[in-house]
Amino acid sequence: MRQIFQDQMKELEIEMISTGGLLEQAIDAAVKALTEENFEKIQEVRHLEEAVDHAEKKIENLCLRLITLQQPVAGDMRRISAALKMITDMERIGDQAADIADLSQRLIDHGVYRHAKHLNQMAEVTSDMVSSAIDAYVNNDLELAKKVMRTDDVVDELFVNVKDDLITLIRQSDQQIESAVDLLMVAKYFERIGDHAVNIAEWVDYSINGDIEPQK
Amino acid sequence: MTKRIFRSIFFTALGVLLASAVLILGILYQYFSQELENEVHNQAVYLSAGVDALGVSYLEEIEEPEDGTRITLIAADGTVLYDNEADPASMENHAKREEVVEAKNNGIGESSRYSATLSEQTYYYALLLENGDVLRLSSTQDSSFALVLGMIYPFVAILMLTLAVSGFLAWAIARRIVQPLNEMNLDHPEEIDTYEELTPLLTRMSQQNHQIDEQLQEIAQRQQEFVTITENMSEGLLVIDAHTNVLSCNNAALQMLGSVSLPKQGSALALNRSEAFRTAVSESLEGNHSLQMLRLHGHSNQVLANPVWKDDQVIGAVLVLLDVTEREERESLRREFTANVSHELKTPLTTISGFAELLAAGMVRSEDVSHFGQNIYDEAQRLINLVVDIIHLSQLDEVSEPQMTSVDLSVVASSVLDRIRPVAEKQQITVKTALDSAVVMGNASILDEMIFNLCDNAIKYNRKQGMLTVSTGFENGHAYVSVKDNGIGIPKSDQERVFERFYRVDKSHSRAIGGTGLGLSIVKHGAIYHHATISLESELGKGTTVKVSF
Repeated sequence: MRQIFQDQMKELEIEMISTGGLLEQAIDAAVKALTEENFEKIQEVRHLEEAVDHAEKKIENLCLRLITLQQPVAGDMRRISAALKMITDMERIGDQAADIADLSQRLIDHGVYRHAKHLNQMAEVTSDMVSSAIDAYVNNDLELAKKVMRTDDVVDELFVNVKDDLITLIRQSDQQIESAVDLLMVAKYFERIGDHAVNIAEWVDYSINGDIEPQK
Repeated sequence: MTKRIFRSIFFTALGVLLASAVLILGILYQYFSQELENEVHNQAVYLSAGVDALGVSYLEEIEEPEDGTRITLIAADGTVLYDNEADPASMENHAKREEVVEAKNNGIGESSRYSATLSEQTYYYALLLENGDVLRLSSTQDSSFALVLGMIYPFVAILMLTLAVSGFLAWAIARRIVQPLNEMNLDHPEEIDTYEELTPLLTRMSQQNHQIDEQLQEIAQRQQEFVTITENMSEGLLVIDAHTNVLSCNNAALQMLGSVSLPKQGSALALNRSEAFRTAVSESLEGNHSLQMLRLHGHSNQVLANPVWKDDQVIGAVLVLLDVTEREERESLRREFTANVSHELKTPLTTISGFAELLAAGMVRSEDVSHFGQNIYDEAQRLINLVVDIIHLSQLDEVSEPQMTSVDLSVVASSVLDRIRPVAEKQQITVKTALDSAVVMGNASILDEMIFNLCDNAIKYNRKQGMLTVSTGFENGHAYVSVKDNGIGIPKSDQERVFERFYRVDKSHSRAIGGTGLGLSIVKHGAIYHHATISLESELGKGTTVKVSF
């Protein structure tokens, strides 16, 4: 019985890591679709998003099966419930990457991406946050998780900067208002990705320490 | 073991005790019955003497016996004359009673009867008196049982006490026996002499300990060797089991996967989550060979994954990681070079073929023939120069046995300048020299080639009435040759690449200037051949200085 439990826990870990990998790939592709104006990447993001959705179902099933059939306690229970919560955030991140890719298809046509100077930096910081959050989960690294939580402020600040950039763009000419609005959406999606990464980091904290921080 | 010994001792004691108790009680019962009968006999003898002397009145006068003995006097005809427990008149004739009949015949009679009404065993003893009457005494045997019963209580108390004592003793003895066994130091079984019976076992154990020690040492040594080998490999080596747990991993592998330390959970996927690595792991664990390219931090790593089979089942996988960054770079350079060479060779050939075609078709006016011929000649010369340069380069590429002699750079430089001066004059370029003797060990023809190419470039990429300064000498203990011009210069972004084969800064004008694009490449390879370093200082529009230090 114990062996089955251990095997299933292992399977959960592997699934979580793989999904983390898919997610990093999806964000990377979404960022490339936007910054390198690469059409192929848009398709890639869509496929990856589907893969992440699929993984979410699988991990949910696995977690529920573990909880109902194996009745885990203490640390194991925390790790499983953290995984169950994290996968929801991961799936949302996947969705947002797909949304960014969808928007970037329109933005490539207009070629206005360059006007939002801070967007690049934002993309870099948020994809870093996601990577770090997954790293923190994989290596049980509390320090890294805390760092991800702190980085959220940087992303929020960058979002304000991007907004300012776009306001300047709109003031300069009314030709590109639509693109500017799209870019604002992209920035918001990145900001949301950052929030989800923080959520993941908080669940890592929970799975290590067992205390639930008040959700903002 | 303690429990077992305790139990065996305790239950043996208990069994023995109970058995002896039952036996003793049985014997006692027998004994008491006997005693009772004896007492009745004595009483009867005593009473018969009294009755013989005094008659019935004696019986009526004596006190009631306290032990409940019943006394009956029966006349010869069987009529009861006296009974101490019942009215003799109401009693039936006793002449037919077994003990009475026996007493009449033998003088003494006894019998034992079970009374169903009273559910007791009664013992009767009858004695024939001198006058023919019979004196009968009877006693219920339950009084002997009561005696034994009276013994039971002290007996049980003694039993309890003995059991408690034997329990404690059993516990103490069991501990005593087991304690030395518990205190045995099994690391050194040969030093133990607690129980003689254990000696063969301990000897065997000692031998096995030795064997295990030796084997462990051997394993540790093997492990050490393995670690030393794998750690010094430049290839990454990773061994995983069927659940992706890392069994073995060297530093190179960790580095190539971009991980600092082994993950706590042991899954190889925790080292790297990239698609290439995941695919390699999953494919190999499915039993297929997998070859993936993992790109990380500007490095290209080839991941070769092979499943490990045992009894038709994949029990793990071996992953080898190779850093192929350099190889990829070299390959791309070679591809570029091939493409460039064919392009550079094709251009003059196309021109030659074009002019030749026109000439052959007779479409050229006779006064233009020499002009066309000149063109063909020029292009052919270009082609020859190109081929010569390529030959030089490939000679330098092949690290042949260096033919080193002592060469004075100033002598080489002045010989180069003698040859090149006419070209410079044609472009109205002033040549300045500062040639101090600088002797190095080197190959004269290669050095000549290097300096020639540097000067050639300085003239080609100069402007009208420009200047060319060539200096040789010693600086900081190193011989150097420096070629300086005040020509068009090289942009910062291109300075890295000008030493590459066929690289041109300004691709559009290169045809007018001529040259093969191989000059600086030859200089670079010459410098490598001589273990010299090249420094390039250039500013766009102001000029270039190339310095080779030996």
